[in-house]
Amino acid sequence: MKDFIKVSLGIIIAFLLYTVLNKISPSLVLLFNVFSLVVIYFAVEKNEIFGACLGAFCGLIQDSFSLGVFGVAGLAKTIAGFTAGYIAKKIDVNPPLRSFVFIFLLISFEFILWALLYSFIFSGSINTGRGLIFFQPLGTALVGSFLFFFLRKFKRSEP
Amino acid sequence: MPLFLKERKSLLVLTALIFFQLILISTQVPLGYGQNYFEKAVFSFFSPIQHGILSLFRSIGNLWKNYFDLQNVQSQNQKMKDEMFFLRQENNLLRNALENLRSQKEIEESLLKLHENILAAQVIGFDASNFYKSATINKGSLDGLKKDMVVLDQNGSLVGRIIDPVALKESRVQLITDNESGVGVFSKKKEVMGILSGDGKGYCFLEYIHVTTEGIYEGEDIITSGKDGLFPSGIKVGKIVSITTGTSLFKQVKVEPYFDIRRLDHVAIIMKDPMEIF
Repeated sequence: MKDFIKVSLGIIIAFLLYTVLNKISPSLVLLFNVFSLVVIYFAVEKNEIFGACLGAFCGLIQDSFSLGVFGVAGLAKTIAGFTAGYIAKKIDVNPPLRSFVFIFLLISFEFILWALLYSFIFSGSINTGRGLIFFQPLGTALVGSFLFFFLRKFKRSEP
Repeated sequence: MPLFLKERKSLLVLTALIFFQLILISTQVPLGYGQNYFEKAVFSFFSPIQHGILSLFRSIGNLWKNYFDLQNVQSQNQKMKDEMFFLRQENNLLRNALENLRSQKEIEESLLKLHENILAAQVIGFDASNFYKSATINKGSLDGLKKDMVVLDQNGSLVGRIIDPVALKESRVQLITDNESGVGVFSKKKEVMGILSGDGKGYCFLEYIHVTTEGIYEGEDIITSGKDGLFPSGIKVGKIVSITTGTSLFKQVKVEPYFDIRRLDHVAIIMKDPMEIF
């Protein structure tokens, strides 16, 4: 029950941030992939199955707000979530610098997967937002590593 | 449970999820934009949350403005903005209607009907994969919205049309900059007809303009022709920014839409074809 509440809260916060960023400027959504951060966080905290399921769920939410084929982002996030959970089991990704590199590589992997699926299905190129989308792994990793650092510190300080 | 079985379990779950999503994707591809019930359900569940979040932020912002700003000036300004919004819509449609030379009385009656058939809405979000494809607005089927209703920006320029899914209080708008959109248009001066299609990157292309076609120039206005049976005629769409001739049979006519996605906040939805009113 506690896990369910935590995950639900994580998704709601991600959705809130996604909505606000989208409203401020649609380009900001290209720079920060908030749903992927939620997936990576819980994949690392729990396991790869949790990461895959949450990835599927968050990806389908993102797809429902997208015109086109429903399931593209879901598929990319499922694989990314599973990979995050699997790698986190093998190596310790908690130190801030390692966390940054880990998130950066995972977001890059997810982005490449999504772009390939998109190009394959739509036979066209993605909208790069004048190159802004290529900074998504960096932007998300910077925000994510800080966030994860403070969340873990907060968790350790709990009685 | 032994380790190898644990690992197999996780691979089985991953395979099942991937398989489910591949089935989901493959059932849609031949149908084009036909939304399945699952997608409609997810949109109908999450779009009110998006709507609620933005309403909350707007209320907090308005609270500050209402209590710490000059209250009378604020409400007067808002009233004038609302009036101007409808006036711009009426003005653009009226210019075309007056060409029919109706009587003053008929025009006044028609204007009243027209006012009742324009619904104002706010944009609450843009497409998650490509913001030039679609937007979500805060009006839905409970407000009388249906698929294929035309959407204009606050200056009366064409933005797109309502598409599925239409939830109770939210709906999706396909923008004219989407590469799957198609609008019947013609150039204002010589009425050269064509189909306007988006490029998915903020611009549109006027297609099927044969290389031998004359009378089409850079800087010319493009308006809807009404021949596609969807968009009423006479709505401003954009301006031609470049015309190039390559090796194909048709010219490449690039059009910059008049609506600005960065300033797309309030939109107007035409509930009834103005030509039916006029």
